[in-house]
Formats: sequence, structure tokens, C-alpha cells
Amino acid sequence: MDAGKIKSALADVTAEQDPTLKSAKLASLCSALWAERGVELVVVGGSAIEILTEGAYASGDLDMCHATKATLPVAERKEIMSLLDAKGGPRNWQVAGMYLDLLGPVESFARTPFRRVEAPYGSILVMKPEDLLVERVLMSFYLGESQTARDCAKKFISVILTGGVAVNWNELRRLANLPEYRNLPQCVQLVKEVADELKIKSPLHPD
Amino acid sequence: MNSKSKAPCIPIEGSISWEDWLKGRRFRREMGNLVAPEIIRRKTSSSDRRLKKLFNGERGLPFTPTEKL
Repeated sequence: MDAGKIKSALADVTAEQDPTLKSAKLASLCSALWAERGVELVVVGGSAIEILTEGAYASGDLDMCHATKATLPVAERKEIMSLLDAKGGPRNWQVAGMYLDLLGPVESFARTPFRRVEAPYGSILVMKPEDLLVERVLMSFYLGESQTARDCAKKFISVILTGGVAVNWNELRRLANLPEYRNLPQCVQLVKEVADELKIKSPLHPD
Repeated sequence: MNSKSKAPCIPIEGSISWEDWLKGRRFRREMGNLVAPEIIRRKTSSSDRRLKKLFNGERGLPFTPTEKL
């Protein structure tokens, strides 16, 4: 990406006042710059859930991990981020009016692919919804029964059940049975609760 | 309900275009709003200090209202 294109993309991200668009555009720009150097980035956590659900959940920071085995050396990361007038580093950056946290290697148990959005400056890889949902259900039941995590999981399920995001239910069931989660009954319960509210059948229900 | 979806779906395989992703924003927000409050951003987190400094005491930019998506 040439300097002129980077400058105009940065101006666009900086001026963007919709938090989800801002986050998606910044992810797109960073992904493109990293990809030019052979590293694939993935949007994870609340920012990934926001891109998938529009749930008005995420805060003003964007978390990204690397999907390729190695990430860039610190010096190269600084070089790229200086193109974006970013402050801070080497993991946490203030850039274009928000924060970007460049975390370690992505952790995923699902065998489905990362979801892909063809965003304005290049593709964004987004964490797999099967992983995100099982983890969010875990948080909603076990971490002090967080109402926010529960609301987030319910919105996520509603978007999935109504066809906004495709998931592999068999894979989700497999993940929820893994020792890392062991929360299939809670997943079944919450999916049924949302399905009942929507007056549709739960895909995880045994019938 | 899946078959009645009025918005482009974010697929498992392949990708969704930017235009289709934008087109689906309102639908996704509305479907979530059927089962939980509209805004569910956490009130606090370990990032509060830096977020509130950057966003004038808030934890991020305000969300675009559903009707404007």
C-alpha cells in the first residue's frame, strides 16, 4: 500500500465516528499492512463480537492477534505503526482516535474457518463465532454470573438464530464439551431461552 | 426463522462483501435488541483509565442508534 493510500485511509479511520465502523476500518488497514509483511491478523474478543453482532457491546479498543505462527519483530511493528502516526507500543497503541492492542498468537479450538469481511482497505479476519459464543456463555455463567456477558451471549445467539451469522452447531457442541469449557448444558439452556423468546426451535435441543 | 432472514448472512466459508456487511448492520442490531437491552457496553474494565481519558469520560465512542444504521 503506497504512502498516499495509507494517508487517505488513516484520515478516513480518524474521522469515523461510528465505533464499529472505525474499529472495522482500522482492522482492515492494519491487516493489509501486516499482510504485506507476511503476517495475518485476526480481530478477537469484544471487537470481533461487535463486527459479527452489532450488539453495542465493545469499548473503544480493538484487540487483534496473529493467525500466522510468527508475528513481526518489534522494530518492524514500530515501523508500520509510525506510518499510522500511532503512539505507544509495542503491544498497545493509540491510533486514529482509538486503541489497538496487538496481542499474541490467536487461540481457537473450532475447526471452522475465521470469518472474513472484505473491508475497504483489505480483508478482515474475525474470530470464529463458535469459539466466541461458547466462551461468552462460560463468562456469563461462571464469572460472577455477569449480566453483561449474558446479554452479549443472548444477542449473539439471536443474531445467529435469525440468520445474521452462520455457525456450525455440531462444532459448537463439540467445543462446549471440551475440557477447556465443559459448558454444553449452559449453552443448550441459553440457546433454548433465546429460541423460546424468538418462538423458534433451538438447534441444540435434543428433540 | 433462518430462511426468512432479510439480511446478508456472514458465512462460514468464503467472505462477506463490505456492502453486504453494511447492509446487515441494522438487521443484526435489531435481532439482538429482541432479547437484550440495546446498549450493553460494560461499565468498567481494566482499560478504564486510558479509555476514559481518550473518550471524554466514556469507554468508547457512542453507538450509532439502530434507526440510523
